[in-house]
Amino acid sequence: MSTTRLQEVLVCFGKKKQADIATAQVAADMWRFSKLNAALANPKLATENDAEEYGKGHEFPTATFKTAWDVGATLEKYLSAEIGAWAVAFGLGKVVKSGAGPYVYTCTPLMPAAGDAAELPYLSYVEQIRPGGGVVLDRQAVGLAVEGFQITVGSGPGRANSKISVELVGSGKVIDSATGITMPAATTEKLLPSASLTLSINGVDYVTNKNIVSLETGWKNNIRMDAGFFPGSGFQTAGDGSTGAIRGRLEFGNRVGNLKFVARFMNGSDEYTKLKAQTTGTAVVTLAYDANNSLQLTWQQVTYSVVEIAETDQILTVAVECLPMYHVTNGILTAVGKTVVDAICS
Amino acid sequence: MNEPTRVWMRPPWGRGEPKEVDATPDVLTPLMISGWAQCEPPTNEQEVTTDVHD
Repeated sequence: MSTTRLQEVLVCFGKKKQADIATAQVAADMWRFSKLNAALANPKLATENDAEEYGKGHEFPTATFKTAWDVGATLEKYLSAEIGAWAVAFGLGKVVKSGAGPYVYTCTPLMPAAGDAAELPYLSYVEQIRPGGGVVLDRQAVGLAVEGFQITVGSGPGRANSKISVELVGSGKVIDSATGITMPAATTEKLLPSASLTLSINGVDYVTNKNIVSLETGWKNNIRMDAGFFPGSGFQTAGDGSTGAIRGRLEFGNRVGNLKFVARFMNGSDEYTKLKAQTTGTAVVTLAYDANNSLQLTWQQVTYSVVEIAETDQILTVAVECLPMYHVTNGILTAVGKTVVDAICS
Repeated sequence: MNEPTRVWMRPPWGRGEPKEVDATPDVLTPLMISGWAQCEPPTNEQEVTTDVHD
């Protein structure tokens, strides 16, 4: 028997969105990526037993009951135009595609008060090890949504200075063997390196000034997981109440964005002044591979909530946490992903 | 300078007519957050009305 190395794991997931939460995607609607983290999308079965029930004559369990399923996944990757566009499209939910190649995906958060859905687009997530002969693992989680994404940009020459982490949560529906999915070819990615950053926050161009050290920005949907189990939400095997309940919806909760950065602190640095004045302005973060592959996040109105002067490698720096706010005309966040890949989140 | 790509957008709640706009973030963002969504271009087929009095 040969051992199995985790590097053998193949992962593909929905480039397009599922028809609905319960309809598994086919291979033609998915794309394949490598990833940095080892975590697998393990399904979790919650069970109960009858230990505390009266009428058995003792306090010991005699029977178990499958109650509910859960499954989720986390993707950690070097940031690329492809995964960036995908993350903001599925993570924010409202997408306008323009262009004929390259394609521009303009994405904003869904606004139920304006008639938008309260559910994000759903996708399937497939893990396989040695598909075909000698299958070790072949499973497909169905009905996942992006719980959040986090982009980190740091100083230094390596790829690790521009990364993205995407958290996926799911309905619990799993095809745990013989998915029938033929793994697509690996996606060729256009990396968005740290050295490509342009950054303007609250009226200051931190890249032209050569004083940005690092930044982190992201979005969290705070999906209402328990609310997914409602009367009639369904079972792992449709119509079979003994197989455990699955979620029938994944609605976002109180969504929140984040942006923080570290910059060199020098004469004229005005972050503390802006904190005291609660000055507001836009924050525009752009990373690019070339003219056809980029990602831009525009926080429409931020103010500073924390400003701390500290040090990074014995250089005086200022660490700033921003509070992303809702702008009356432009909302909170606009993300624009540009890539040569068509049909993302379609 | 290239002309911006244009896209069709339909109004929120299904009320009103679609309109074609420049596909720039400055134009799209206020529409998107107020409920406008991308749609297919309206068909150009003209309605044919037969004269029922003939």
